[in-house]
Amino acid sequence: MSVQTVVRLPEKYRPVVDHELCLRCKKCVRACSYEVLEFKDDRIRPKPGCVACLRCVYECPAQCITVKEMEPQFAHHAVFDPVLRRSIIAQSNSGGVLLSSCGANVEYMDIFSHLLLDAAQVTNPSIDPLREPVETRTYLGRRPGKVTVTDDGRIDLQSSSTPLVVMDMPIMIGHISLGSISYNAQAALFQAASELNIVAGTGEGGLHADFYKHSKNLCAEVASGRFGVTSHYLKEVSSVEIKIGQGAKPGHGGHLPGEKVQELVSQTRMIPLGTDALSPYPHHDIYSIEDLQQLISVLKESTEYQVPVGVKIAAVHNVGAIASGIVRAGADFITVDGLRGGTGSAPRVIRDHAGMPIEIAISAVDQRLQEEGLRDKVTLCASGSIRSAADMIKCIALGADVVGVCTAAMIAMGCTVCQQCHRGMCTWGIATQRQDLVDRLQTPVAAQRVVNLFRAWNEELKEMLGAMGIDSVESLVGNRDRLRYIGPNPRIAEILGVKHSGEGWG
Amino acid sequence: MLQGNDGPVPASWMASDFDAYPQQGRSYVVDIPHRHKYRMGSCGIAGCINTDGSMISGSKIEKMITTMGERENGLGAGFVCYGLFPDYADEYCLQVLYESDQSRAGLEEYLSDRAYIIKDEKVKTVAVPTMKPPFPLVWRYFIRPKTNTESFWRKGLDEEDYMVHMVMQINQADNGAFCVSSGKNMAVFKGSGYAKEIAQFYDIGRYKGNMWLSHSRFPTNSPGWWAGSHPISILDWSICHNGEITSYGVNKKLVEMAGYKCSLLTDSEVITYLWDLLVRRHGLPIPAASFAMAPWYYKDIDRLDEQLRQLALQLRITYKEAFLNGPFSILVGRSEPNVTMIALADRKKLRPLVMGVSEDGNSVFAASEECAIKAVQKDAETWAPKAGNPVIVRLGEGIVRRGTEAPFQGVRL
Amino acid sequence: MASKKHNEVVIDVDERNELGHPLDYRELNEKIRGCISSGMEKVILKGVTGQRYIASAMDDPDVKIDIHGTPGNDLGAFLNGGTIEVFGNAQDVTGNTMNDGRIIVHGNSWDITGLAARGGTILIRGNSGYRVGIHMKEFNGSGPRLVIGGSVHDYLGEYMAGGTIAILGIGMEEDVSPVGLSVGTGMHGGRIFVRGAVEEHQLGTAAHVLPLTDEDWEELQSMIEEFEHAFGLKPSRCRDDYVKVGPLDSRPFRGHYDKTNI
Repeated sequence: MSVQTVVRLPEKYRPVVDHELCLRCKKCVRACSYEVLEFKDDRIRPKPGCVACLRCVYECPAQCITVKEMEPQFAHHAVFDPVLRRSIIAQSNSGGVLLSSCGANVEYMDIFSHLLLDAAQVTNPSIDPLREPVETRTYLGRRPGKVTVTDDGRIDLQSSSTPLVVMDMPIMIGHISLGSISYNAQAALFQAASELNIVAGTGEGGLHADFYKHSKNLCAEVASGRFGVTSHYLKEVSSVEIKIGQGAKPGHGGHLPGEKVQELVSQTRMIPLGTDALSPYPHHDIYSIEDLQQLISVLKESTEYQVPVGVKIAAVHNVGAIASGIVRAGADFITVDGLRGGTGSAPRVIRDHAGMPIEIAISAVDQRLQEEGLRDKVTLCASGSIRSAADMIKCIALGADVVGVCTAAMIAMGCTVCQQCHRGMCTWGIATQRQDLVDRLQTPVAAQRVVNLFRAWNEELKEMLGAMGIDSVESLVGNRDRLRYIGPNPRIAEILGVKHSGEGWG
Repeated sequence: MLQGNDGPVPASWMASDFDAYPQQGRSYVVDIPHRHKYRMGSCGIAGCINTDGSMISGSKIEKMITTMGERENGLGAGFVCYGLFPDYADEYCLQVLYESDQSRAGLEEYLSDRAYIIKDEKVKTVAVPTMKPPFPLVWRYFIRPKTNTESFWRKGLDEEDYMVHMVMQINQADNGAFCVSSGKNMAVFKGSGYAKEIAQFYDIGRYKGNMWLSHSRFPTNSPGWWAGSHPISILDWSICHNGEITSYGVNKKLVEMAGYKCSLLTDSEVITYLWDLLVRRHGLPIPAASFAMAPWYYKDIDRLDEQLRQLALQLRITYKEAFLNGPFSILVGRSEPNVTMIALADRKKLRPLVMGVSEDGNSVFAASEECAIKAVQKDAETWAPKAGNPVIVRLGEGIVRRGTEAPFQGVRL
Repeated sequence: MASKKHNEVVIDVDERNELGHPLDYRELNEKIRGCISSGMEKVILKGVTGQRYIASAMDDPDVKIDIHGTPGNDLGAFLNGGTIEVFGNAQDVTGNTMNDGRIIVHGNSWDITGLAARGGTILIRGNSGYRVGIHMKEFNGSGPRLVIGGSVHDYLGEYMAGGTIAILGIGMEEDVSPVGLSVGTGMHGGRIFVRGAVEEHQLGTAAHVLPLTDEDWEELQSMIEEFEHAFGLKPSRCRDDYVKVGPLDSRPFRGHYDKTNI
């Protein structure tokens, strides 16, 4: 006889319907995949389980639903805050590792808001991006460090040539796998990347046959599970990235439960239907830095040195030294993913407590590579909750050539960051494989919205560059002189290599 | 004995009053007040070269630079002369500003360990009544580095790199000495004051050379600092810069990665090191180096023929940290292969630059304003080079490039 | 009418002070203003070496200033009446924010000629530089006219809101355009006439090559006549040789901003 061990958690959210305006169309009932709304006794009534995904609000033709955040049911306690108490209760119920998704949900991590940009006044003219060119074109890949000149003074173009990927703006759509998101969502992202002429990551789920048409704007991910990695895949894409880690879950691998491995995912990942798709924690052929060199070399050899091969790491304490090792191991670009990066599924404890914010990580890597004389050899990409053009430009000024953006692109497509991705019931058709839900996401509309978003950010980037008197984005990369810190902890400013607000040049 | 250190406070002289900042017992003359760190501003530049090898007196360049009186405010000016010491043309001429006789003794000891001092002499200076003392002691050394020492071969550098390294060491160290020029058959005369005052201080009219460049400052922070004036020189390179570099942080990182040390607290310094790096060390032809520093827009690069397009892209991408963003017009002097003047404006032409040539074609001039050229050569034909397009004038060859040609004319692939 | 000798004065500018600087522009301009207020109608300056702001804010339509030498920057800034004639080259920002009057240069002028001009006429015999005619405008029926005999560099007529510019390309080869890149970028008024070709890639944002209307041709001919009269040169009188660059919209950046309440 089993003992009842489950204690119910108090509700966090509740959809509230204005019954006077309600048309009784029941669209909201159908909209909610969490089965929170039901039509009973001539009214829409809520049941427990609302996650504030806001789909019902969006679908209601009378606009009569509001999702209310419930008053905290617990007695106030400063040390055992509600989130902690809920976690403990849940774990006592299940005995399992708590999962969540999206990026770190901890307040103290955002350093971008403590950084301020410079502008040109008097001693330097600002540039007007609407009327004078402000260039945002960016190249991804290794550079030779100098252009070869023969002894008799002629320039040798051949020997200085390296494979490079052209991007019209310094934005990359980060890696999100088919499996963690739906076919329609990935189609939208790839279409947007093609239209904007930037690079999107394929994620570790391989590349669906339908998406090969976008391959010139795609970066293939070789993760520890090697899903879908074939020679054909490697040779078609514009660049290849070895995923060592991800900012949201440093040191962790991935887990796509068997019930999500349906036909589509099975085909693309090249694994049997219904099995779990497990990505091991480390690459089992990389146990030390020299092994990484081996993997990079075999990838370059297999692609006949036609594409840049890079490495993605999560930002951890020794990220500067690790990055230095990676450059020496032959990587053409390095992506550093910060603590606040998003994920489709990760243990809460890792998501919120492990890693380093991207601001500090990218500064550390940039400075370390600079000290070792390696910085000009590689392209640095930074990601981990780049939420706006302001974050983007500050990240560039801290040392990134390119920023990777994921969550913002999701939000453009409809995501409301309700952090339920790991349950696979995304009502917006993004983080789910249920066909009825996936059908809600209209690829052309979603693609257009992502294009709009990044175009707007690129225009904002130009406005800010112009205001600083810089007419090309490469003159801001790592130019920390144009940033000042105005936060509570001046030590952070020191570590970032940024002066405090009020300090002049010099 | 000198100690090299990584501290960013080298020797300096204040030519005007300020409150003493006693720091570790050093005299106030040597310190830079800690809040007056960075100098920037709009200035005047002028240059003249006689391509037939005849000599130009310092009074000519003085007249040019003083004509543009509005472009200075008395906080710095300088001159550089090429072809000044034909009798010592094979020795490096180090011209040094000293705070005191002790600093001189210290540096001479350091030098004699590393080089043969063929000749040394005090540089004539005059106490100018309108300038405030203290004035530095200015000395000149003609040296040849000792290439047979352990110190030399252990560094694995060639002679020129070794000279650069030595000058960087001298200027970084806290030793009351600052080396303002280190090239062969040339010297830099600069300080804090009006151009006329600096000309008087050094009695510039007594010198003659094939080429002169000069600069007058209008910095926006108060006291001037003798070493921070232009021309800024390393080996046979010297730069006069008008403008401000918004990409300074990026350029500084590139040159520091290549071993140069920025010690002058002025953005113009990186320009000198970039020319040395790109042209002397990497061997780039001058139009290619100019393109790297003032590249075309991508949309215009895309319109070039395939081979030139590849060249342009490769230069721009490989040297993106050498790209000088922001307004500038610069005059660059060098002696290899022969005395050369290079003039370059930024790719939006945000700073003025005018060239002039005499009717007989033997004298070529450059200046921020045409009046400076007309003041010394009334019949000069004047023209303005295009944005980002270098002018190259060389002794014995005349005007090699007018600054209006196609971008890579003269570059062989 | 008073005789020429009576109302004419010559000022020789060629002297240097103890810092080596030429006659200070303040002194020179004061002298000029003094002469004008005491009734001189013609002031001849000789030996000008870079003095700035000559005749700035002058507003007497009967006065003429002849300049021999090289006037400095901001010649005729805020000019509101009168004529300035330069026998030599001018420097930067000639005719800065000019409202009325005439400036004639028998030579070249360099960058930013005619910046923000609202009226009056500037005639340059030779070439000019970058950002010529930037932000020229019109108001209450008066519009500035700027005629350049030779060629100009990039950013001609940037931000143009009104007025007329003519680039005559005299002495240039057939296939070389007398204007540079980014012509008329941000134009939302006014017109630019160019003798020669203006290709697609030379046009700035919001600028378009448009056909010459009869009214345009009349205006252009009148400008060419003024130019001929001032310099004795004969630019082309063939209508087909000229193109017009102008805006299609007085609010070309309408869709760029988003006003949503965040």
